[in-house]
Amino acid sequence: MNSFNTIWAKGRGDRATWLLWGLAAAFVAYTFATGGYLIAVLQFALIYTVLVTGLNIFMGFTGQVSFGHNAFAAIGGYSSAVLTTTYGWEPLPACLLGLAGALACALVVGYPVLRLRGHYLAMATLAIGLIVYEVAVQWQSVTQGYMGISGIPPIGIGSFTIASDRALLVFLMIVAALAMLSAAGIRRSRLGRAFVAAAGSEDAARALGIDVARYKLTAFMISAAYAAIAGSLFVHAVGFVSPEVFGLPMVVMSFTMLYVGGIGTIAGPALGAIIISVLPESFRTFKDYQDLAYGAALIVILIYAPRGLASLPELSARWRRRSA
Amino acid sequence: MFNLVAQSVLSGIGIGAVYGLIGIGFCVIYNASGIVNFAQGAFVMLGGMLTNAGMTKLGLPLPLAAIGAILIVAISGVVLERIVVRPLWNRGSTMFVMILATLAAQIVVERITQILAGDQPRTLPVFTDLPPLRLFGFAINFQFLWILGCSALVIVLLGLFFSSTRTGKAMRACSINRDAAALQGIPVSRMLALAFALSAALGAFAGILITPTQYTAFNVGVPFAISGFIAAIVGGFGRPLGAFAGGILLGVAQALAIVLLGAAFKNVAALSILLLFLFVRPTGLLGSAK
Repeated sequence: MNSFNTIWAKGRGDRATWLLWGLAAAFVAYTFATGGYLIAVLQFALIYTVLVTGLNIFMGFTGQVSFGHNAFAAIGGYSSAVLTTTYGWEPLPACLLGLAGALACALVVGYPVLRLRGHYLAMATLAIGLIVYEVAVQWQSVTQGYMGISGIPPIGIGSFTIASDRALLVFLMIVAALAMLSAAGIRRSRLGRAFVAAAGSEDAARALGIDVARYKLTAFMISAAYAAIAGSLFVHAVGFVSPEVFGLPMVVMSFTMLYVGGIGTIAGPALGAIIISVLPESFRTFKDYQDLAYGAALIVILIYAPRGLASLPELSARWRRRSA
Repeated sequence: MFNLVAQSVLSGIGIGAVYGLIGIGFCVIYNASGIVNFAQGAFVMLGGMLTNAGMTKLGLPLPLAAIGAILIVAISGVVLERIVVRPLWNRGSTMFVMILATLAAQIVVERITQILAGDQPRTLPVFTDLPPLRLFGFAINFQFLWILGCSALVIVLLGLFFSSTRTGKAMRACSINRDAAALQGIPVSRMLALAFALSAALGAFAGILITPTQYTAFNVGVPFAISGFIAAIVGGFGRPLGAFAGGILLGVAQALAIVLLGAAFKNVAALSILLLFLFVRPTGLLGSAK
């Protein structure tokens, strides 16, 4: 796990990395010019970038496991949806309240849950995700159950709303870039080094005076915050929310993105989110095949390329060294 | 009111026995390999769906269709082990990667089933089509008796298998210490495949037993797997008898939650039990307290 974190630093400036970024930039430019449906796909990818970047802080940096981050996305998403439609709030305060709610939940839930390890931790977080899903289905007076809430206004402040597709795309690109930059900042800070130390060996980290339990909780809350923001962005971008949006497939998809891109790297989440959103486009009309493709792709990647695409530079460098 | 509660406790015991069988499936694989197989629900779903397909598509009688389904599911358990688990196992992947891979396998199986069989819920006929027995004012239907009888039989057979046969003893040796077992000449990797076959067959059997009282569809697997997992945790992970007891506790708790609080609280009750045990007593009912 630990060495994953250095991949990005090593790989920077490598030709393969630049090629990938060039391709990504070309794709974004092309989408921006042609518009249409691809813009929606790219918006979706950028929102997932925020979610997966948060997940990466908890799983990649800190080496923990969470199958329940859809819970925090749901808290953020539903707060935005309910407050803006039923109570007529502005999107920004609604989003902030959702964020505060998710942070509070992460604190209360994380304190006992993070004492667990291994499959106990996996199961407890999965249960948290399922409980929130269940609440979204059953609390019909607020969430309208399976019917969902529609007519959620687009993001904006006061009379200035981001209504057009292209404007939203630019806005989401800025948000996703901020998410990645902040993750890079966290990784380089004292906080991030403590996370990585805890991932490497909890005992060793403790011996160095790192309060492992507190840092794990901090990482959990930071990643919950990213998830809540992603949830809010999602409902505002789509204008609709239902429990299905935040179900188990969301968890599996975000893991697929994390592993395709490369867990523990800074660029990995964005790379994975874009690839996983764009590649199965040809399948999109067949919803069943799409989940099938995600699942199968995840298995193949776990088996053959456990470090994902962001580790390609390192792999190619090693290959070159060997052949030289 | 009392009668209603007692009646629902009875039905809870029936469902709980099925959860227990699924939980035992988790334990069998966990003991042989230390792997938690999150694709366990797929076996349960496939058991019911394949039996249904055997009866409707091929016109087989129920017992034949059920046996055929159990065999096919056992084979697919081995396939899962060879294709997904074995490569990761050989590389020494972390526990989390293993969970993720089996969860992905669960989704793949689910979607393939949906594409092949459609998303219509299906069911099986009850095994004995007679009106419920009347005992002390309770109605006891025959499917309940089938579930209890069959799961008791399965547990006795499993107990005999693990205590008296060479293969069963070898599997137990693997669960105690894999390296030592390998040094004794036990083919550890074959035991892993066997554990998957056994666990898959158990899951399929559980799916066939429960389907006549409910229904089955491509997406019933995950809820069953979660219930089975909770049963295994409550029983202290890796203890088959504990898992069975945990399953019955879970089934009864769910039934009581439905009667006393409403149907919406069924899953809330199950997940609360899970969290309670994880936080307060992670070693389970039978485990020694930390």
